[in-house]
Amino acid sequence: MSVMVRRPSNFGRDTGLQARMVLTMFLLGLVYAVLIGVLFAAGAGAVTIAVIAGGLLLIQLFTSDKIALATLGAREVSPADEPELHGIVERLCVQADLPKPRVCVMETAMPNAFAMGRSPKKATVCATTGILQMLEPAELEGVMAHELTHVINRDVMVMTLASFFATLASMIAQFALFFGGGYGGEEEERDIMIVILVSVIVYAVSFLLLRALSRYREFAADRGSAVLTGRPSALASALLKISGTMERIPAKDLRTAEGMSAFFIIPARAKRSLMNIFADHPPLEARLEALSRLESQLQGTGTAAIA
Amino acid sequence: MGLREIITGRHEVKGPAPDRLFAISTAYVALQSEHSIDPAGVAAIVFQALATSEFEATLRDMEEVVAATGGESGTTVSTQDDSYGYRWMVLRNPDGRPSVEDLAVGINAVSSSIETAGHGERLLCAVFAFTDAQHRPVYFIYNYKRGSWYPFVPEPGDANERATERELQLKAQMSAELPIEPELERWFPLWGIPI
Repeated sequence: MSVMVRRPSNFGRDTGLQARMVLTMFLLGLVYAVLIGVLFAAGAGAVTIAVIAGGLLLIQLFTSDKIALATLGAREVSPADEPELHGIVERLCVQADLPKPRVCVMETAMPNAFAMGRSPKKATVCATTGILQMLEPAELEGVMAHELTHVINRDVMVMTLASFFATLASMIAQFALFFGGGYGGEEEERDIMIVILVSVIVYAVSFLLLRALSRYREFAADRGSAVLTGRPSALASALLKISGTMERIPAKDLRTAEGMSAFFIIPARAKRSLMNIFADHPPLEARLEALSRLESQLQGTGTAAIA
Repeated sequence: MGLREIITGRHEVKGPAPDRLFAISTAYVALQSEHSIDPAGVAAIVFQALATSEFEATLRDMEEVVAATGGESGTTVSTQDDSYGYRWMVLRNPDGRPSVEDLAVGINAVSSSIETAGHGERLLCAVFAFTDAQHRPVYFIYNYKRGSWYPFVPEPGDANERATERELQLKAQMSAELPIEPELERWFPLWGIPI
């Protein structure tokens, strides 16, 4: 019945974004390879640290969502509590052919949403009461589709794995600061200094690369939302509404949420970052522009098909 | 989902699975004769209506097609949007002459023209309405992404509760006739079905 030539998608390819994302991951790998090399050269002690860090990473992967949800005070809601939110998520899950994630709500006026969990089967999506009140159904759908795209793309897993060696490098640097030097021979001390120096450099470089990667994943999630809902402008409108209030929120309320910002739809930060290079979310203008490009592609495929 | 898609963060919406919509046009015989569940003479297809002129044109053509194919059987078409922004195209048999075959043909005409226009990934589901011996509504929902069916029996009232036991019975009764969705967590409810 449905044997037919599949027309290209309603949205064009995003080759540029793909290329930047792959390049970033490649550079991260390169930096990490240097670190691993130095660690092995430094001998057994450093390898032990790496093994411990690997264990920590696994613990992080398996528990971070529960810890985060608990510290944020998010509570799971039943379809009876939040019929509209559940309805939106369910329809999107049918569209995306995803198992339904746990749905949580966080009691705060700050409008935001985030997704957690290392795989689609273990995922949780969370919306704040602020965002539920603020957005129209179509806008909320766009936001939840953005979060579900994070789930589909396994962004929690990707970012956790990608930041593994950055975490390791920062651990070594901090460890060395506390217990630095003062024992062993002169040669051993020089080795330790090299390890520390490399760790600091790796940490600094990978920090910037990770931020860039995080921004690209955000763009990818925005695009995924547009593809999933067919309404890029609804997400754009939601982002405008959310950011309008985000900047008026007092900083005091935000501190608790700061560490979570990588998974929020709009970073929980009152002030605009001076340098976008440090930001883990792309600037609003760039996201709106990308969404508006998607909308014109969508409208454009229409004229192309008629012509 | 492949590793490549995870790394590039790139994901396209799945198109429809191989079509198993027409399973209902034979399965309803067993529903009617063995389980006294009669067709209500109405079915609907639910999809995301893109706000583009091309999609609107597709929809207009589609309504004409369905009206034309329905001309002989007397099937009528109406359209409405729900609060989630999804569009329902409701097909209704003439009074007193419910025909699941006609409805399935009509629904298939709609889904085919959406697919032909290249928007197959916008299809959400098709819903066929039945009534049981106690005159309570029983729905069979077809998930286009998975090509599978599942029963949906809402409890009477506005409490948004479903008669899970009844649904599980229907699954057992119909699994020989219909490709029933094996994962129960994919049996998504549709509250406020307008048919």
